[in-house]
Amino acid sequence: MKKLNNSKKVFIFCSILLSLFLTQAWIFAGDSGTVVITNGYIVTVSGQDIDGGSILIEDGIIREVGRDVQVPEGAEVIDASGKWVLPGLLQSSTDIGTGEGYTDRNSDETSSPNTAEMQITDALNPFDKDIKKATISGITSAMISPGRRNVIGGQAAVIKMRGKTAEAMAIKSPMGVKFSLGEGPKDTYGAKKQLPTTRMGEAYVVRKALVEAGEYLAKQKAYEKKKAAGEEAEAPGRNLSKEPLAALLEGKSTAFFECYRVDDIMTAMRLTDEFKLKTVLIGCAEGYKLADEIASRNIPVIVGAFGIGPRRMETQHLSLENAGILAKAGVKVAIKSDEVYGVGSLSELPLTAALAVKGGLDKVTAVRAITLTPAEIFGVADRIGSIEPGKDADIAIFSGEPLHYMSVVERVLIDGKTVFESREE
Amino acid sequence: MRKIFKTVSILALASCLLHPLAAEEAAKAVFIHGATIHTVTGGTIESGAILIRDGKIAEIGADLSMPEGAEELDATGMVITPGLIDSHSHLGLGPSGGTTDDNEGSNPSTPQMRIIDSIHPTGMAPHENSFRDAVSQGVTTIIAHPGSGNVIGGQSAVLKLTGGSVDDMVLKFPADMKMAMGKKGYGAKGQLPVTRMGVAYVVRQAMVDAQDYKNSLDKYEKKKESDPDAVPPKRDLKNEAMLMVLNRELPVHIHCSRIDDILTAVRLGDEFDFFKLSLAHGDEAWKIADVLAEKGVIVVVGPRMIVYDDNDNLVNLAKVLVDAGVEINIMTDADVVQQEYLRYQAATSVRYGLDPQEALKAITINPAKLIGAEDRIGSLEAGKDADLVIFGGDPFDIQTKVCRVFINGISVFENEQ
Repeated sequence: MKKLNNSKKVFIFCSILLSLFLTQAWIFAGDSGTVVITNGYIVTVSGQDIDGGSILIEDGIIREVGRDVQVPEGAEVIDASGKWVLPGLLQSSTDIGTGEGYTDRNSDETSSPNTAEMQITDALNPFDKDIKKATISGITSAMISPGRRNVIGGQAAVIKMRGKTAEAMAIKSPMGVKFSLGEGPKDTYGAKKQLPTTRMGEAYVVRKALVEAGEYLAKQKAYEKKKAAGEEAEAPGRNLSKEPLAALLEGKSTAFFECYRVDDIMTAMRLTDEFKLKTVLIGCAEGYKLADEIASRNIPVIVGAFGIGPRRMETQHLSLENAGILAKAGVKVAIKSDEVYGVGSLSELPLTAALAVKGGLDKVTAVRAITLTPAEIFGVADRIGSIEPGKDADIAIFSGEPLHYMSVVERVLIDGKTVFESREE
Repeated sequence: MRKIFKTVSILALASCLLHPLAAEEAAKAVFIHGATIHTVTGGTIESGAILIRDGKIAEIGADLSMPEGAEELDATGMVITPGLIDSHSHLGLGPSGGTTDDNEGSNPSTPQMRIIDSIHPTGMAPHENSFRDAVSQGVTTIIAHPGSGNVIGGQSAVLKLTGGSVDDMVLKFPADMKMAMGKKGYGAKGQLPVTRMGVAYVVRQAMVDAQDYKNSLDKYEKKKESDPDAVPPKRDLKNEAMLMVLNRELPVHIHCSRIDDILTAVRLGDEFDFFKLSLAHGDEAWKIADVLAEKGVIVVVGPRMIVYDDNDNLVNLAKVLVDAGVEINIMTDADVVQQEYLRYQAATSVRYGLDPQEALKAITINPAKLIGAEDRIGSLEAGKDADLVIFGGDPFDIQTKVCRVFINGISVFENEQ
């Protein structure tokens, strides 16, 4: 290799700097800290829509929303005339970022049917390509969770589609414990002739684990009581599996039950009643058959199987009317999209919500089902899910009415920074 | 006895589902008027009318008058398209990922397999009403293919989704020879093909064998002229099937997604002069769209409609190919995407910029042309089969409902609302 003289070195260095700047410029646009989105049709979700409204963003936080927002000097202005401005969408219960491709997933630790000790964030790759792809459809956050192979899969988390580390991405982690009833565990362990090979086996796995967690909790409490009374006591050791389950028994955490068929849904509710759990149902393909039972317990549902992809035996009776029927019965409904192809795929969350509208859900509830409702379910509504002063500036700008098939996402901001901008044709 | 009863009731159920009206209904004239008609081959007719008689489109146009005795159907404000054709389907073959009847996994080369011998005429668990559901969303014809577990999977069939038995449903058989590039399950057993070059070799050897078979048949024909006792060569079902490919009587349909597999498919097509080569999926076909256009290779896009380039930017596969001059079909690969979602597959491409008329062609006339059935289906023209769909509005809009579906002039679906 020839030696370079100094001027050449400087030239190359400058060229590299310049090219870096040019290619990365869009990422840093808005780093001044103040951004104003002007003159858009703002769907705040939490309040009234604002036609011709503006949003003032400072340091990644929404400061003002309304028709009379002043543009501060030096602020970056994003003209949203004729556009629809929504809070960034929240994808519920997905394993996005936990594997490359569709076969190498890291979300099911199938060495045991109870792996409550697993934390999904330990499987998260912040550089997974699916994370950027998700932002193209306006998704700015996701609830990621273990899959449906284990009865007790482990601990879920809510993350943002931005950041170089799992810690930077996390909004809330761990967040709840993921359970699964039905074909997932039965097929996985049945094939190995291990517990659970039946549905009653699955219920037993949950019941046993929660009973043991209760005993663990009692020991902890007894120790704390003794300590508080100044008595001598030996501290019980930590148990990583029982700890997250004990939090469920104390009402400090949420149990997420993935279940599809009527019998599995009912088992989830039976366990909920028995252990007084704070429960959320995921999937719930036959939820429409039990709408009153679900509503009477105030259990929210994340409706997830829309039947676009291959059906399993347990999802054969799903219906597009599911979300609509549940909502009409008074159930709090969130919508997820995690099929591999077509209108139900991860990158088409608004179209999945549109399918629910086709099935009878009203549009306002459908938009809420992919923004504020899941944020409330996951306990992160203080930060995301609507366009309100004080909330994170996670925003998706659509070319038109967001649930219409011809509307596409044109720009996405997370914490006030543009993370996706569609290229002009 | 019980089994026979079960079979009879399934057939009866099938004919109820797929054949709700008696056969004489077909002879009755139906006059549909007031709709926006997308003829596909002859432009769009605003406030047009269609006269159906004897299962065919008797007349179509803007200024038709209703003949006496015809059943009147006022479709004012509605949109009519030809019955939709899914160019690549595994409907009635069992659930994908489950125990399917579309891969005869005993040998990597099974051109003698005939897909019609594996199809259940209403669909199977866990989606037992899949044919009916497909019709209810406007799909009237499918091309049913063997799977991609074998290099040469077998012979495909064109089926109309009405009839009750598979034999009644067949519009054309054999329709094409299904092949598949990419790694197969045989490698795990230490059997040929272990590698991608092994896959190509399987096709090459089958073509050479077919040529040898042809030579022996020719030799026999020649010998017969002088020797009436000449013994014909033993029939070979495998070579007989490949002979149709060799003689360019059958189109060739090759499963390939990766660019290396696409290039191999095109290479084999060139080498053996395949008739009407079409590629299934073609996820990376956009990388050589110009080459495919120049060679006249057709791409059947789906079930993945949207792919991403090396910088993770969105690529609208169908649009890039159409822009480059490649003829496309759009498919569901049912049940990878359920059959009834065919129009939404097309809508996904329209959403990101494909011309809606091109998208409509890709699920009507283009597949009809691909399997040589454009004289009967794929567009709304006088003389063609009366297969049509009446939509409540824009066929690609998620919210649009299907109001009515006709196959062979018979109403096979009617929305109660």
